[in-house]
Amino acid sequence: MSMLRLDQILMAAAVAAMIVFAMVSTSEESLNLISLILIWGLLAIGFDLIFGMAGMLSFGHAAMFGAGGYALALLAPQFGFLPSLLVAAVAGAALAFLLSVFALRVSGLFFSLLTLSLAQLVYILASTKLRAFTGGLDGIPGVLRPALFGVDFYNNRNYFYFLVVVFVIGVAIMALLRISPFGSALKAVQANDVRAEQIGYNVQRLRQCAFMISGAYAGVSGALLASLMFYVSPQMLHWSTSGDVLIMTLLGGKGTLLGPVLGVAVFEVLKEELSQFTEHWYGVLGIVFILCTIFLPNGIAGLFAVLGRGRKGASK
Amino acid sequence: MSTIVIGLSLSFLLFLLAAGLTLIFGMLGVINFAHGALYMLGAYVCYQIVHWTGSFWIGLAFAPLVVAALGAAMEVVTLRPVYNRDHIYQLLLTFGFILVIEESVRLIWGLDYKQVPTPDLFSQPIALFGSQIPSYRLFIIGFGALVSVLLFLLLDRSKLGMVIRAASSDSEMAQTLGVDVAKVRTAVFALGSGLAALGGVVAAPLVPIELGMGFSVIIDCFVVVIIGGLGNIKGAIFAALLLGMARAAGFTYAPEWVELITFVLLIVTLMTRPSGLFSRKGRAA
Repeated sequence: MSMLRLDQILMAAAVAAMIVFAMVSTSEESLNLISLILIWGLLAIGFDLIFGMAGMLSFGHAAMFGAGGYALALLAPQFGFLPSLLVAAVAGAALAFLLSVFALRVSGLFFSLLTLSLAQLVYILASTKLRAFTGGLDGIPGVLRPALFGVDFYNNRNYFYFLVVVFVIGVAIMALLRISPFGSALKAVQANDVRAEQIGYNVQRLRQCAFMISGAYAGVSGALLASLMFYVSPQMLHWSTSGDVLIMTLLGGKGTLLGPVLGVAVFEVLKEELSQFTEHWYGVLGIVFILCTIFLPNGIAGLFAVLGRGRKGASK
Repeated sequence: MSTIVIGLSLSFLLFLLAAGLTLIFGMLGVINFAHGALYMLGAYVCYQIVHWTGSFWIGLAFAPLVVAALGAAMEVVTLRPVYNRDHIYQLLLTFGFILVIEESVRLIWGLDYKQVPTPDLFSQPIALFGSQIPSYRLFIIGFGALVSVLLFLLLDRSKLGMVIRAASSDSEMAQTLGVDVAKVRTAVFALGSGLAALGGVVAAPLVPIELGMGFSVIIDCFVVVIIGGLGNIKGAIFAALLLGMARAAGFTYAPEWVELITFVLLIVTLMTRPSGLFSRKGRAA
């Protein structure tokens, strides 16, 4: 890994500016919007570890996201918020492990199909067979917020600070992971898995680890969302959640640390703005997504990279 | 008996869809995520044609053509510029299609369930081996078998089929030999989209036509092509029979668990033969 490049500093500045804006702004709406961006940002950061770094396209992140939400909803009343948040991470990782046992028997596009199918299985189970635990399609209302240091986290502004802390920790861990030998190994696997295997990397083990870490991020993010909304339902497990995080990551720029967060920001702001003009905003989003796939394959981070270098060519 | 008929009709329906999916994959190397959306669109277009003309048969004839034309347009405008990139980008594009198609359908037809009446010719059940069989199911079996045979003849015996097979196995070589690969790709994508729509039209009288119908079917479809081996049409027909019959048996004997049967089959296949029951080469993709 090279030293910090200008484009990375610019992206970090953009994210920091967004957080500061939420702090100084008095608008409840922008506070709520930016809370959502931080939560989905964590999901996208975790998603990009496997999509951008390891080159695995998962269509099953909804499963881990939902698992985290349910874990928190069910456990927080008995064990407290922070332990349950930890369990949500473990639940995400454990479910990721379970999915990977099947999904990693295949590679490439098959992996995408399998993760999609298995996540759909989880969705069906949660909304029908496990109704006793999950409340079926009605979900579980009244999910708790943290109770720490006597601060009232039911106040959205205080909960926002809690989110910022978790978000910064999540980004820091991911930043370290990306420049660690583990991160380099993942890049090697993405670039050429056969060669990586020959050099002596255990490719399957690396993929599985990355998928589990990604699952843990999804679990935490799902738990935080459930807590923000006071509510968890199978909608979190729905395949469109997996689709959304994919769109966000690609919009922002895959394979970059903070690009996905910017993607989330653009996605949420677009959603907010477009839905004021038309109820068919999802279709417009689809067109934006198609155009970005064709013309802006490196996403917003690609634009930053152009800015940062002042020359042609985004990072590859 | 009715279990067998329902199973067979379901199998042929699945096969129509899986054949389109696997054809597109074989030729373009793209998994078309929008296949279910095209199936749904086929059903809606059929509904509209029936609404205008009153005839299911006109819908059967023209709805697949409309969707095939749309498929060709999608391929030319969006997929063609990105073939030299990683396959993931093509898959992402087809994912984008879903959003646009679903939203367009919602814009045009709204959220209400639509219904296409069973054509008069097949509205009466007939007695067969002592049980009442809905005759429309028999029509699906016959029609599905006919389309399958035509598809095999097209791919295995015709000049066009030869070109498609050549371009699938080595597009550069085919290009060198004078095949316009870009046109073949467009044709295959159109054919696959048309098959998806045909599935939607055939299913239209059986199910309520609604936005979610595409997704529930696409999962079954993916399972069929994974079990059959991606890009393998003959494997797809076997896998479609397996899944269709298993689901029909499930409806009869264990209706509580029928949604899970698909996944059990998938998992068992993957644990035993990860690249599908009929894969020719090693792992695809």
